Amino acid sequence: MSNVASVKNKWTWLLLTLVAIALLVFGGTRDTGPKTQSDRIDAITKVIACPTCQGESVYVSRASAAESIRAEVARQVAGGQKTDDEIVAFMEARFGSRVLLVPRSTGLDALVWVLPVFALVCALGTLVFAFRRWSVSGSNTVSDADIEMVEQALRNAE
Amino acid sequence: MFAAGGINGALGRALLLIGIVGSLFGAVAAITSARQRDQAVAKLVPRFAMLVFGASVGAFAVMEWAMITRDYSLAYVQKVGSNSTPALYNFAAVWSALEGSILMWVLILAGYTLAVAYWLRKKMDDVLSRYALGVMFIVSLFFFVLSFGPANPFGAGAPGVFDGPGPNPLLQNHLLVMFHPPLLYLGYVGMTVPFAFAIAALITGRVGEGWLLATRRWTLFAWGFLTLGIILGSWWSYEVLGWSGVWAWDPVENASLLPWITATAYIHSVLVQERRGMLRVWNLSLLVATFSLTILGTFLTRSGVLNSVHAFSESPIGPWLLAFFAVIVVVSVGLIGWRGDRLHSPGSIDSPLSREGAFLANNVLFSVFAFVVLLGTVFPLVVEALQDRTIIVGEPFFDRLTIPIGITMLTIMAIAPVLPWRKASQELLSTRLFWPAWCGVLALAGSVLVGATGFAPLLTFAMGGFAAGSALRQVVLATRRQGLRGLVGRANGGMIVHLGVIIISVALAASNSFTHSQELNLEVGKVASFSGHTFELVEVVEEKTERVFSVKARVIVDGGKAYAPAITRYLKQGMTVGTPSVRTGLASDVYLTLEPPIRPGSDTARIKVFIKPMLLWLWIGGGLMALGTVLAAFPGRRRKPTAPTSDDGVDDLLVKS
Repeated sequence: MSNVASVKNKWTWLLLTLVAIALLVFGGTRDTGPKTQSDRIDAITKVIACPTCQGESVYVSRASAAESIRAEVARQVAGGQKTDDEIVAFMEARFGSRVLLVPRSTGLDALVWVLPVFALVCALGTLVFAFRRWSVSGSNTVSDADIEMVEQALRNAE
Repeated sequence: MFAAGGINGALGRALLLIGIVGSLFGAVAAITSARQRDQAVAKLVPRFAMLVFGASVGAFAVMEWAMITRDYSLAYVQKVGSNSTPALYNFAAVWSALEGSILMWVLILAGYTLAVAYWLRKKMDDVLSRYALGVMFIVSLFFFVLSFGPANPFGAGAPGVFDGPGPNPLLQNHLLVMFHPPLLYLGYVGMTVPFAFAIAALITGRVGEGWLLATRRWTLFAWGFLTLGIILGSWWSYEVLGWSGVWAWDPVENASLLPWITATAYIHSVLVQERRGMLRVWNLSLLVATFSLTILGTFLTRSGVLNSVHAFSESPIGPWLLAFFAVIVVVSVGLIGWRGDRLHSPGSIDSPLSREGAFLANNVLFSVFAFVVLLGTVFPLVVEALQDRTIIVGEPFFDRLTIPIGITMLTIMAIAPVLPWRKASQELLSTRLFWPAWCGVLALAGSVLVGATGFAPLLTFAMGGFAAGSALRQVVLATRRQGLRGLVGRANGGMIVHLGVIIISVALAASNSFTHSQELNLEVGKVASFSGHTFELVEVVEEKTERVFSVKARVIVDGGKAYAPAITRYLKQGMTVGTPSVRTGLASDVYLTLEPPIRPGSDTARIKVFIKPMLLWLWIGGGLMALGTVLAAFPGRRRKPTAPTSDDGVDDLLVKS
């Protein structure tokens, strides 16, 4: 590839990146108008667990307990007084933390958020360590064991 | 009636006993012949596989026969059988509860054992073959014992019963129940085969590359069925459960996803071992992890320790599965430790920016992904054990953690296929990624134009376009040079699978982020509208049979065809189930559910409408994944076994040797 072509290429890449970022920022932040009540109800009921079923959200569940919580959420949304978080907090105060589908980030429960990050850091650390070691030992010297292995393979191949 | 039932019970148990004895003898014959290099005994091994398979087919057939003839002398038929279940659902009722599922596991495992024995019939003089079959027999021995003892489907029922409740209503209102469990099991149980070869390779110390090539296709086969099973399960959930979702991060779903994740990681990282001889310990660990996760997942979901909508029954098999899991882990880790010296691989990975570097990054992500799913699944148990309180780790947790992982995976998926082995130069990358990157930007621009919002979905669409460009580039290059043959083989079939995955990711992002729903109070003769669609109630009708009482609301959508969401009461179970009705479309689905209370003959009905963009593409993507897997299984062009110098990965596949 000639130099001129690669410089041109650099500019196109820069342009491409800028266009992508601009589109992301525009699309990611644009205002699509206020959420409808129904969308709010869906969003709230997705993080509240149905108290009588096993691990299903109120959004998912068709049980009567879920129906009544959904009705209460709908009533509070229609009332227009509370934010989504306040409605979730209201439900927690009323039924206890067993209706929360999202684990809290305090106490023992925080582990469920911390451990994945920890796992990722460990995995990446191992990878970096491995590359370090490979770049140190990655010389092309041939050991006696290697030669013997090759000779044996050649003998077997005959 | 009772006498016949007694015969079915006795016959079934006798066949299971034959299976136990056959597995035991098969295992002993395989392992002693391997240890003493005895050819005569080795010849017997495939015969035991035939015997065991025959016994399992017989036992399963007896169970089917008992179910079809409604033999209520069996406790299991009393539990899931019913005089009024339609024939097809009655056939599928055999695997609708725990005991029957284990019986199906036995059948499929025995089938795999026989298939492996047949495949190895001319290689039985190889010690590794014998050990591998020995492992298969030991695993099948365990499942036969499980089915004979703690999960016995042939136990005698209470006398004087002449009808039963039938299977769970959710398992008798959609045809997919015929296909989803068997296909899932073909994948789940199929992971036993590569595991058996991994253990055999460790025992014989032949941890070189030979057995990997041999078992790659088995792994791919099982992986393909697991993929298909998971997708059909999502489809079933969508069509039956009435909340318009495809995946709820339910423990049973997670249990099927976990081995899928580790198997996917293996399918990728094994290429590094084939090509460069590296990552041996890691690949063995992935195979062991995949198999042990199938056992752990079954334990978690079938022992009743975790609550799950799939927990149709609970039984005392928990300790058995847990013990078996422990044995697998201890034996495997012990073997890997014992063979540690041989597992050390020569060579090194030169640069992170290379094909093998990308595979490593892929594996890091998949491992973290598996860890997140496993952690989220078992974390409630940990909290309950330590602090004696109940918490739920639900969908929002999984969504929050897996979406960034998914987007990163798409990014790697875009870059990796163009990377050569060993080392990539910047110029090469910038040339090869040029068009794929344009695809990404175009996808992004297109989605912004049609009104998509939010960083996560937009990033998904952009990276999806990028990755699709990259996969298409490979397919186009290959077909241009080789014609239709450029579609088969691992690299090309793999790219088709990638396209399927990308379509699924995009469809998931679109349908999860941009679903709108609304409850509509419909009246006969009045047209309501929501989100650009019109809805008109025609009538509310009832349908009554001996089995069900159902109320349907017939609703005309957009002035066209009538759709009929229903609420159905299953009379025998006293359970009420809502059945959605879906208008499928390429751009979006209109998903209707009928909300209680509803009266037949009423001229009003409360309907919940969900508009789900791009949902159909989930199934299209799934089909593409299946197709790609089949194409990948066909032998592609042969390529040079080793790459002595830095070379160009993609083109290397295409050069005629």
